[in-house]
Amino acid sequence: MPEFENFNVKTTIDCKQGAVRAVRYNVDGTYCLSCGSDKKIKLWNPASGLLLKTYGGHADEVTDAAGSCDSSFIVSASLDKSIIYWDVSTGAPVRRLRSHAGGVRCVCFNEDSSIAISGGRDNAVMCWDIRTRRLDPVQVMKEARDCITTVATNENRIYAASLDGCVRTYDIRVGELTCDKVGEPITYLAQTLDEQCLVAGCQDSVVRLLDCETGGLLSEYRGHRGDDYHIECGILSNDAHIVTGSSDGDAFVYDLLEGKVLQRIRISDNGGVVHSLATHPKRQEMLFARRRDMYVFSTDLQIEEEQL
Amino acid sequence: MDEEEHLHRFGTPLPALQKDVVPAKKPVAIEDQIVRDENGKRRFHGAFTGGFSAGFWNTVGSQEGWTPQTFKSSRGERASSKAQLKPEDFMDQEDLGEFGIAPQGIRTRDEFANEDEQQQRSGQRRRKLMQPELGVGAIPGLPVLEQLLRPVRDKVAVRILKSMGWKPGQGVGPRQTRKEKRKATARNSKEQYLLEHYGAEGLPSHKETKGEEDSNTEDEDDEDITFAPDDYEPIFYTPKENRFGMSYSGLNRDPILSKSSSSAKPMQHINLFDEMEAQANKKQLSIRGQAFGVGAFEEEDEDIYARDDMTRYDFSLADKKPKQKKQQHVQQRHVIDGFSEENSAAVLQKPYAIDLPRDFLPRNWLQRRSRFAPMDKDRAKKLEAASEYKRSGLGRHDLNPDQRAQLLGEQKKEEKTAEEQPKRNPFKDRGKSLLERINARTEGFTKGGVITENGEEQQTELAKEVKEANAAIQEKAALKTKDLPSAMNSSGFKPFLADEAKQLRYEKFVSSKLTDDKEVTEFLARMQPVTLSLWDREMEKKEFIQAAKIYRPLVGLMNDRFVSEANVQAEKVKEQEKPPEERKIVMERTKTMWKPTALLCKRYNIAEPFGGAMLEPEKELKAKAKISVFDYLETSVNTKANFETPSIFPKHIEKLTPKEVEKPPSPPPAPPPEAEIQDKPNKPNTKEEPSKPTFVPKTALEQAVDESRNKPISEKVELFKSIFEDSDEEETEPSEEDKLAILQESFGLPLTTTTSAAAQNVLRNTSPPRGIFASLFSPKKKDTEKEPATSKFAPIEGNKLKIAYKPLSERLRNDRELAMAEVAPEDIYGPKLPTAPPQKPAAPEIRAETNIDARLQQLWQQHAPKKRKAEKWVEKKCISDSEDSDASSSDASSSSDSSAGKDKRSKLSKPTKSHKSTSSKKSKKSKLKYKKKSKKSEKSKHKAKKKKSKH
Repeated sequence: MPEFENFNVKTTIDCKQGAVRAVRYNVDGTYCLSCGSDKKIKLWNPASGLLLKTYGGHADEVTDAAGSCDSSFIVSASLDKSIIYWDVSTGAPVRRLRSHAGGVRCVCFNEDSSIAISGGRDNAVMCWDIRTRRLDPVQVMKEARDCITTVATNENRIYAASLDGCVRTYDIRVGELTCDKVGEPITYLAQTLDEQCLVAGCQDSVVRLLDCETGGLLSEYRGHRGDDYHIECGILSNDAHIVTGSSDGDAFVYDLLEGKVLQRIRISDNGGVVHSLATHPKRQEMLFARRRDMYVFSTDLQIEEEQL
Repeated sequence: MDEEEHLHRFGTPLPALQKDVVPAKKPVAIEDQIVRDENGKRRFHGAFTGGFSAGFWNTVGSQEGWTPQTFKSSRGERASSKAQLKPEDFMDQEDLGEFGIAPQGIRTRDEFANEDEQQQRSGQRRRKLMQPELGVGAIPGLPVLEQLLRPVRDKVAVRILKSMGWKPGQGVGPRQTRKEKRKATARNSKEQYLLEHYGAEGLPSHKETKGEEDSNTEDEDDEDITFAPDDYEPIFYTPKENRFGMSYSGLNRDPILSKSSSSAKPMQHINLFDEMEAQANKKQLSIRGQAFGVGAFEEEDEDIYARDDMTRYDFSLADKKPKQKKQQHVQQRHVIDGFSEENSAAVLQKPYAIDLPRDFLPRNWLQRRSRFAPMDKDRAKKLEAASEYKRSGLGRHDLNPDQRAQLLGEQKKEEKTAEEQPKRNPFKDRGKSLLERINARTEGFTKGGVITENGEEQQTELAKEVKEANAAIQEKAALKTKDLPSAMNSSGFKPFLADEAKQLRYEKFVSSKLTDDKEVTEFLARMQPVTLSLWDREMEKKEFIQAAKIYRPLVGLMNDRFVSEANVQAEKVKEQEKPPEERKIVMERTKTMWKPTALLCKRYNIAEPFGGAMLEPEKELKAKAKISVFDYLETSVNTKANFETPSIFPKHIEKLTPKEVEKPPSPPPAPPPEAEIQDKPNKPNTKEEPSKPTFVPKTALEQAVDESRNKPISEKVELFKSIFEDSDEEETEPSEEDKLAILQESFGLPLTTTTSAAAQNVLRNTSPPRGIFASLFSPKKKDTEKEPATSKFAPIEGNKLKIAYKPLSERLRNDRELAMAEVAPEDIYGPKLPTAPPQKPAAPEIRAETNIDARLQQLWQQHAPKKRKAEKWVEKKCISDSEDSDASSSDASSSSDSSAGKDKRSKLSKPTKSHKSTSSKKSKKSKLKYKKKSKKSEKSKHKAKKKKSKH
C-alpha cells in the first residue's frame, strides 16, 4: 500500500478555446490534449504549459479525444456526429468518420490503435477500422438504451457505459455481451490498471467500483457532488486511489479500499465544475478541466524527481 | 491759410484731381445699377416671372419694390376666389392720415365717446354749425329734430343704464365690496349650476360659510374699494305645458321635409298664400335629410297618418292681419307712453306636480362639483364624522333584523315557520282555491323557497314541500350570494336532506375531517346501518367525499388553490435539504450472445469465438450498404414493450446461455449450440405467431408461456404440459373420439382448448372438409353437439357454420328432422352416418369407429407421397421429444393405456398435421384411396376393439 501524498498544483493553463470539455493524456503522459467548445483540440506539454499544436476541423464542440499508442495520431469525437482521425505532426484530419446518428460523446483506441471505438448520443457504440480507408464502422453495438458516456477497451473487451445505468462489456474472445446494471446513470467509466475492476462515476454523486468478473459492486465513494454534470472519475497509476471531479470546483481523492476521502483538492475558489480529468498513466499526476482552464496536479515528490 | 482754417468742411473730400489723369469713369447709368439683396447677389426671379428685370429695374422683392402675388390653392386650403379688397387698399397714404378721408388713429370707441365727440366724428358737426345756437332758434331747448334724427344705437333701457353709469359687461345693482362680490359670484355660479342640472328646484337654502370667513380675514381693509356687481344670466322659468316626463319631448310630428315647423304643422292652418310669400322672400333653402324612406332625388311620401281637414283651409281671400294692427292703435291705459303691452299672451297654465321616482336622490351639490373634483376639506371632515360610526362597527344598527340574522347565521325561516305555524288558520288554507295553492307553489319555485316576511300564503304545506325539495339549491344560492361566515357552518349545506340519516352521517363525516380513504371507510362503517349493502356503502362514501369537496366553503377552496410564495420556497428548501434517498444498488448481471465481427477480432488479435460460427443476429441490417438514420428508429428503445420491461429479454436468454457456455465450443459436425439457443426461446412464438416479433400474450397458453419465462426449467413443467397437451389434442381430435375422452380424463382439460391452437395455426386448412373428408370428420359433429353443454364448442372444420349460434334444443330438433328426412344414400360419401347421436362419448362402438379412422389415416400416411415429409414441421419433433420426457411422468399415473395412446399419438402426429396443411388438390388425389379404405373400416373395427381390451 503506497503512501498517499497530497497533490499540489503544478501548472495552470488557460486553454483559450472556450470551455474545456475534456482533458486527456497521451499514451505515456508526456503530452496532453484538451478538447474545447470552440471545436478545436489543442496539444500541450503539461509540464511547461506549452501549446504544441491546434487541431481544427470539427463542426461542433469536441467532446473527447484520444491519442494513439505511438502518439502519431489522434482520434477525436465531436457533437457534429463525426469522428476525426488526426495526424499529430501535420495537424491535418486524415479521416472523418460519420455514421453516428447523434453527437459522439466518447472515443478511444484499442491497444494497438488499429480500432477506434466511439459511443454517442444515438445509443450506439461503433468500432472503426482506422487502418483501412473504410468509412463504415466495423461493428455497431446498439444494445444500450441511452446515451453512451464512455467507451473503454483492453486486450479483449470493450466496455461501454451508458446513461441507462448499465455497463456493457463486449467480450470479443468469448463472443458474449455482459450487461451489468447499476441502476444509476453512469457518467464516466475508468479501468483499473490490473483490469480487474471498473470505476464508474454515477449521476447520483457516487463513484462505484465494479468487479469485472462477477459484476458485483465492490465499493462506493461518496463525498463529491455530481449534480447533473458529467463528472469524470479516474484511478491513479498506483491503483490505490480513485479521483473524481465535483460540481463545486473541487476534486476528491478517495482511498480505493477504505473509501474515505484522502484529499479534497481545492482547484478553484471561484467555483466552476471540475468535470473532466485525466490521470497520468505512470506518475502521480492528474489533469483537471474547469471552465476555460486546465490544471496539472502532482505530488511534491514527483516534481522533485522531475527536477532531479 | 487762415481763411481755410476757419472754413467748416462737411462730407468727405473727393480725391484731388490729378492733372494728367483723365477721369475715366463715367457715373453709372441708372439702368446699369443693379439691385442686390442682402447677400450681395443679384436677385433673380425666375424665367417667367421677370428674370433679372422683375418690376421696375428689378426691384421686385426688394424693399423698394412690390412683392409679387402668389397664388396657392390646395384641397385643404382653397384659395379664395378674390382677395377681399377694402377701399383702403386703393387709397393713398394721405387719405389714411389724420385729415384724410379715412383717418386711422387711436380714438375712443363710439360707446364711450360723449355726444360731442360722436357728433364730431359722424360729421354732424357741420350740421350743428349750420344749425342755430341753442336757444337761439324759435323753439327754445334742444332742437327737437336733432333729437329725433339721432341714430338709434342702443335700446332705450341700455341707454338709461349707461347714463346711470352702467357699462356693458357689468351687472346691475349697487356697487359691492370685494367680499360681497365674491359671495355673490359663488352664489351665482351655484345657481347657474343648479339651473343647468336640476332646473329651478333644489336651490340651497343655507349660505356658504367658508367663503365668508376667508374674505373676512383677507380683505378687511378693502372696505372702501367697491366693484360693480357681476353680470349673470337670469334664470328663466319655463312652465311645463305637457305631462311628459322631465326633459322628454315627444316625437316631432312635422313632416320631415317640411320647410319649417311652423308653416306646416299637421293640424295647423294651411295658408294658401304661403307659397307666394315664400317665393317673395326666397329664403336660402336648407337641405335637411331624412333617415329613411325618402331619397335625395325623390319626393317625400305623403304622411299617411296626417288627416286632412277642411278647417285648415281658408274659404275667403281676406287677410286677417290688418285687424291686429288696428288693435295696436287702441289706447292702453296701463302702459307708459312709448311702450306697448305684450300681446303674445303667455297663458299661465296649471303647473303639474312632477312625480319623481321614489328612490330618486338629487345629487348632492354640497359634496363635490363632479366626482373627479377634490372634496372640500371641511365638508369631507364632516362627512367622515358622519360615517365614523359605520366604520367603527356601529353600522350594524343600520341593518334590519333579517340582515342581522343572516350575518349571525341564524336560520330565519325555520324559526319563522315554528313561530307562525301555530298561528296559521287551518281553515283558511282549506278555503283557498286550488288555483291559489298552485300560485303559492309557483311562488315558492320562483323565489327559490326564500320566504318573505309578509307572504303568509307561502307557509302552506305545499310551499313547505317545495322548499324542502329545493333545499340544496337554496343552500347553493345562499353560498353564492352571501359568502358569509354562516356558509361555513356545517349546518349550512344539506346535500342529502332527502335522507335525514344520511345527512346526519354526512355532517359527522364533514366534522371528522378525515382524508385517508381507509379511515373514511372505517368511520362510515361505524355509522352506517347494517342493512346497507356493500355497494351502497361504497357509493355513499364516494358521494360524501365528492360533496365535501364541492360544498366546501369558499375560503377552503381558495386555500387549496393558492399557496403563499414563502410556503413554496420553504418547501423547496426543505426538499433540497432532504438527503437524497440512498437507494440500494443491486447489481444485475445479464449475459447475452454477441458476435464480434471477423475484422474486429482480427484487429484485436483474437480468434473469432466458435470459429466464427456464431449466428449473426442482425442480418437484415448488414444487408444494407449504408447505415441510414432510420435504422435507429428500429432500435429496441423505441418499442414500448422494451421500455416497460427492459430486463426481460436478456434475462430470458441468459438462462439458456449457461448450457451453451458449459459446452465446449464443439466442432462443426455437432449441431451448433447457438441454433438451439436461438430456436428455443422462439419456439412458442413460431408456433403461435410466427410472423410477429413483438410478443403480446393473447391466449391463456401464451400467457403461461410468457409467465414461465423467468422460472427455472423445473417449474416449467406446467407450461410444457399446456403446450404439448394442446398439440396432442390437435393430433387426436380429428381422428378418434375415444382418445378425446381419454384425454379429458387424463388432463382434466376441456377439449375445447384446441380452439386457440386452431385459431392460431395459420397453416391449418380452415376450409370445410369436402367429399370423403366431410364424412370422415362428420361423427365429430355429433360429438361436439353433445359436448358443448359443459364447454364452449370448438370451431372444428366443416361443422363450424352449422352449429354456430343455435341453441341446443333447436339444434337437436334440427338434427332429428334431418335424420327423419329420407336422404338418398347416393348423396352421401363414405360410411353411413350414425342416426342416433352417441350419448356417451366413451361408448365402445364409437371408439372402435374412430379407431378405424385412425388406422385409415395410418394407412394413408404410409401411402402418402414422400413430398409431404418436407413440410415445415421440424420443430414438432423437438416438441414431441421433450414432451415425451416431460409429460410422460404426469400422464402415466392418470391413464392406464397412456403409453399405447401416446404411441399412436406420436405416430399420428405427422399425418394429421400434414393432412391439415395439404391443399385441397392433394386431398382430391387421395380421395379414391380413402374411399376404398373406408369400406374396409367395418372389418378393422373389431380388430381395434380387441386391441383396446388387451390393454
